[in-house]
Amino acid sequence: MGVPVYPVHLEDPLLQGFYDGLAAGELRITADAETGEWVWYPPEVVSGRPDAVLEWRPVSPEGQAYSFTTIVRSLLPGDHRDEVPFTCILFEPDSAPGVRVPGILVDADGVEPACGMRLRFRPVRAGDHWIAGFAPID
Amino acid sequence: MKPNRVAVTGVGETPFLRKGDQTVMQMLTRASLAAIADAGLTPADIDGYVANKYVGHGSDEIAHAIGGGEKRFCAAVDSAGGTATCGQAIELAQLAIEAGLARHVLVSYAIWSNKPGGVYAVHAREPQKAGIEMPAGFFGQPAYFAAMANRYAHEFGMTEEEQASVPMTYRAWAEITPSAQRREPMDLEAYRKSPMIATPLRAADCCLTTDGGCAYVVSAIEAARDMPHPVVAVQGVGLGYNNYPQGVLFTQKPSTFEFPGRESAARAYAMAGCDPKDLDLAQIYDGFTISALVQTEMLGLCEEGEGPRFYAAGHARPGGRMPINTSGGHMSGGYVPGINLLIEGVRQLRGQEGPRQVPNARLCAVAGLGGNSHSTTILARS
Repeated sequence: MGVPVYPVHLEDPLLQGFYDGLAAGELRITADAETGEWVWYPPEVVSGRPDAVLEWRPVSPEGQAYSFTTIVRSLLPGDHRDEVPFTCILFEPDSAPGVRVPGILVDADGVEPACGMRLRFRPVRAGDHWIAGFAPID
Repeated sequence: MKPNRVAVTGVGETPFLRKGDQTVMQMLTRASLAAIADAGLTPADIDGYVANKYVGHGSDEIAHAIGGGEKRFCAAVDSAGGTATCGQAIELAQLAIEAGLARHVLVSYAIWSNKPGGVYAVHAREPQKAGIEMPAGFFGQPAYFAAMANRYAHEFGMTEEEQASVPMTYRAWAEITPSAQRREPMDLEAYRKSPMIATPLRAADCCLTTDGGCAYVVSAIEAARDMPHPVVAVQGVGLGYNNYPQGVLFTQKPSTFEFPGRESAARAYAMAGCDPKDLDLAQIYDGFTISALVQTEMLGLCEEGEGPRFYAAGHARPGGRMPINTSGGHMSGGYVPGINLLIEGVRQLRGQEGPRQVPNARLCAVAGLGGNSHSTTILARS
């Protein structure tokens, strides 16, 4: 299986925290600093609370696949034919039910992806940056 | 709003092409003039306009391009996809006509799918998608809907044969539709040869890439009775919305394939005073196999989770008990979001569709999806 290599475009600098976490080997998502409620993806304005301050907090490395798809023809801008196939995962951390983090399935030779499969976070190098990888848990 | 106060009195379109040579404005104009002529009107008779923010041309430009008369009403829809073209626009047109602000309202839409940046450029502009999803390779409508399809199959079950029966159904209709973009027969073997894009969606599970324009005229019911065609009234229209922005729509909703279709259908049926068993046919926004399946269920044409079996049983095919997407839909007929489906519904109710005509068609539902919005419109031959 391949790895998608596409530059990270951070029009919103707030998203840098996600990549700082990946580089540190942690899966981090945003939460309301005051209430602790997960707010994901980080929006420009938190719904109903324009003064809310978000902070990055680590989530559990273990969780499950909400869903998946194996990309056979990448629709990313540019030529990515050498990078397919890869399997995209929408990962739900155990500590943040209902939150989904996109990443790719790794260390999964011979494993059929499935909704509900148990996974563990493992960051993967993709060109000059890290992306979220998730490996099956036996 | 009350049922049967307005009617769709004129419809028109340009050819649907894989790669056309007309600008969006040219296609809007040609489709609009065709619809106005079909209604037996002249551009000077059009006094209301509903434009669409995704088209990029306002009512002032359209009115000028068609050589229209005095404009008394104009508005623009801001939902996406089919919600805008076959639900929200109808609602605005009816409101304007009921309020006495206009008598004949023009609704038009054109799409240039081959524009630079491609059809997915709109997603690349979302900061959250660009920042988080695209580096993970999760990008483009087929990927989003493929993940929905896998989740749906996990919850309700769906075999490959059942999934394939949806595009095969629409292709069967396209085979008898001269204007359809894809008319070659498609059996299961041919379906399996269609390139896989993102599992489980093949190219055959995705809407076409189309350059084309469509338009229709909504008129007061009293005026419609004196116009050339049998009256096709708006018996019901309902809209459903959720407030998930496009940036989180495909990943963070509690159920990614829960569109607000049940809400829109309930409102439309209530206004129309009918229920699903009264329908003779339906047109359903088939951006992808999975979204068509889910909307078929949301309209009440089958039970929740039974869409795959409903299509596999042949109920929506020519000769079936509930014909759906009778011109091939967006997957085989052409993709001018929602609006070409509504036009097909109107022509079916007029009895104009020749070999693909649904016998005695009197009531047609048109479902439009806009991601975080949904519309159901009930058209009736008076």
